[in-house]
Amino acid sequence: MLLLDLLLMLLIAYGFGFLYYGLYRNLSARVHGRFGPSLAQSFSDSIKLFVKEESTTFGWMFYLGPVIMASGAVLNVLFIPFLNQGESLQGLSSYGNLIVVLYLMVLGPLGNALGVGSSGNPFGVMGVTRGLTRLLALELPFYLAAIGVMIDAGSADFGIIMQAQSTQSNMFAHPLLFAAAFISFLGFMGKSPFDVVGAPQEVYSGPATEFSGKFLALLMSQSAMFSFAKLLLMVNLFWGGADHLGELVAKTFVLFVAATFIGSVYARFSTVQSVEFLIRIPTLLGIVGLALL
Amino acid sequence: MMSYLEEHYELIHKTPRLFALHVTREQLLDTLHQITTHTSFDTLSQLTCTDWIEEERFELGYMLTNALRSHNLMLKCSIARDKVTMPSLALLFAQAEVMERELHEMFGIGFEGNETLYDFALEGWCDIPPMRREFDTLAYVNAHYDFREGREDNLDVKEEIKKRKAAAKSAKETPSGA
Amino acid sequence: MDEGFIPYQQSLEDEEQSIKSTQSVIEQAIAWFRAHSMFVLAYGTGCGAIEMPPTFTSRYDIERLGVVGVATPRQADILIVSGYCSPKTLKRVIRSYEQMSEPKYIIGLGSCTINGGMYWDSYNTIKKLDDFLPVDMYVNGCMPRPEALIEGFVKLQEKIRANSSEAGYIQYRTRYAHYRANQERLFGTQVQPRYEENFAGMNL
Repeated sequence: MLLLDLLLMLLIAYGFGFLYYGLYRNLSARVHGRFGPSLAQSFSDSIKLFVKEESTTFGWMFYLGPVIMASGAVLNVLFIPFLNQGESLQGLSSYGNLIVVLYLMVLGPLGNALGVGSSGNPFGVMGVTRGLTRLLALELPFYLAAIGVMIDAGSADFGIIMQAQSTQSNMFAHPLLFAAAFISFLGFMGKSPFDVVGAPQEVYSGPATEFSGKFLALLMSQSAMFSFAKLLLMVNLFWGGADHLGELVAKTFVLFVAATFIGSVYARFSTVQSVEFLIRIPTLLGIVGLALL
Repeated sequence: MMSYLEEHYELIHKTPRLFALHVTREQLLDTLHQITTHTSFDTLSQLTCTDWIEEERFELGYMLTNALRSHNLMLKCSIARDKVTMPSLALLFAQAEVMERELHEMFGIGFEGNETLYDFALEGWCDIPPMRREFDTLAYVNAHYDFREGREDNLDVKEEIKKRKAAAKSAKETPSGA
Repeated sequence: MDEGFIPYQQSLEDEEQSIKSTQSVIEQAIAWFRAHSMFVLAYGTGCGAIEMPPTFTSRYDIERLGVVGVATPRQADILIVSGYCSPKTLKRVIRSYEQMSEPKYIIGLGSCTINGGMYWDSYNTIKKLDDFLPVDMYVNGCMPRPEALIEGFVKLQEKIRANSSEAGYIQYRTRYAHYRANQERLFGTQVQPRYEENFAGMNL
C-alpha cells in the first residue's frame, strides 16, 4: 500500500513538474509576444532524449552525477507530504521532518558537482562553481525562514506545522519570513534574476554541457520533479498545505505562475550581484522576522 | 602637419583628403618612423597589394590615417615580383602583423621579422598564392571540386536571352508591318 | 509530370498511409516525439546564419514546432549548414556533426550548399555539401527567408516521422567510405581522425 502511494506521488510530481515546465515556456513566450510551444513540449523533449543514444563517457563518476541528483529529487518528493490530512499521499513524511528535507535539498547540487567535475569541461565546471556559490547565499534566508516556522509551530514535523496554520496561514502570520523564503525560493527555482547557473550567453549550457541522451533526459526529469518538490515545500510551510489534490494543484499553480512572471520581467544578476542581494535583503528580512516572533 | 610632408617629400594630392607618396623598399621603415613622429598620421589602417604582372612588380600600399580620422596618406612601395620580401612593421604597428600574414597567404610576399606567417584562412594550401594574377581560379576549381549537374530542362542563359529578345523584336515588328 | 496542389497533396497522403502500414505503434509514437522535439546546434557557417536568429524571434517563433537552440553538439539533433562553406569551415562542421549523437539530421540552407551559388567559381568554397556529409533537407534561396527555413523544418518533420532507412545518419554509417574518400580528396594531408576511431575503446 505504501509502495503504491509512493509510486503515485512520484507520478504526480513527474507529470505536474513537466506540465509546469511546459507552462513556463508557454507563459514566457506569451510575455515575449509569441505563441510558444505546446504544453506537451517538455514530454516530447524528455521522451525523445530517453530514446536517443549518448555519445560521451568520462568514467563512472560522470554517470553517477545525474543519478545522485535524481535520487535527491526523488527523496525530496517522497519526504514532503502532498496533503495535510488523511492517509494517502503522505509518503515517508512520518519517518522524516523538515530538517531532513532541507538536508536533502543540497544533495542534488553536490552530486552534480561530482559528475560535472569528472568531465573536465570548463563551462560545466564554471556552471557548477556559480551554482554552489549561489547556493551558499540561497540557503541562509531560507533556513532563517524555516527556523522561524519551526519555532512558531514548536516542531519540525510537517503535519504539526500544517496543523498550526489551520486558523491563519504563516504567509499572513509572518509576512517577513514569507518574503525571505519567497525570494530564496525564486533562486532555488533557477528563474531570473538568479539564473546564473545555466546562463546561455555566458557558460553555454552550464553543468549540462557534456551530458547527452538519457543522462540529459534524467537531468531534465529530476529538475522538473525537484521544482515540484520546492513548490510543495513552500505550500506546506506558508500556505497551510492542501486538503485535497485540487487545492494542491491550485496552490502550486498560483505560486508557479508568480515565480514565472517575476522571472520573465527581470534581467539576470551576475553571480556576485545575486550573492550580495541574497545576503543583504532576504537575510535581513528573515532576521527581523525571527526577532518579531 | 601637411607642411612637414610638403617640405620633406614629394607629396601627390589625390583628393582633398587623400595624399600619396612613393618610397623605395629601403626607405620605408625610416620614412614611416619620420612621419609618425612628426605628423599626426599615426595609425596604419590598411595594407594593400596590387599585382602589376605586365611590369613584373607588386605595389604595396601602406595606408596611414590621422588621429581625427579625417585624412589618409598612402605610402606606395614597388617591389619586384620574384624577389618578394619586405621588412615587417610588426614592431611599429601591432596590427600590421595580421595584415602581413594575409598578404603572405594571398600573394606569397615574405615579411622579415614577422613570426606569424603560417596558415591563415587557407589551411594546407599547396598551390601558388590565389591572388597572384597568374593563378587560374577556374582551372583550380575544376581540378579540385565537382560541380552539380544542371537540371534536365536547363537552358543556356546567354542564348536564351538572345532568342527571347529576337522573338520580342519580331513580335513588335510584325503588327507595325501589317 | 503532373504538377499542382492536388497531386502533391495526394503524394503526401500516400506517404502517410505507407508509414502506418510498415511501422509498429511504438515506433510511430517515438518518431512523432522526435519530429516534435528538434534541438538545433547554435552554429552558423556563412551569411545564412544571419537569417537564423530572426527565425527564433517573436515574429516567426519557430519554438512552436519544438525547435530549440542548444549550445553543444552533444545535445543537438539538427545541424544547419547555413550558406557557403570553405574547406577550413567544413573540417569544423564535420567534427561537430560526428560529435552529435544519433539520430541526427542536416539541413543545408541556401544555394551555396547546393551548387556553390554565387561562389560557384571560388577557389575556397565547396560546391556540393552532400559529397562530404549526408544532407537530409535542402532549403534553396540566396538567402532563404525565415519562412523558407520553417517550411524546411516542416518537411524535415515529415521525413523524421517516415523514419526511413534513407535517413542521413544511417547513410553516413553505411556509406562512410564514400564520404571519407571525398573528405580526404579535399583536405589532402590535413585530414581529421576517422569517425570509427573516435569511438574505439569505448563500450557504449
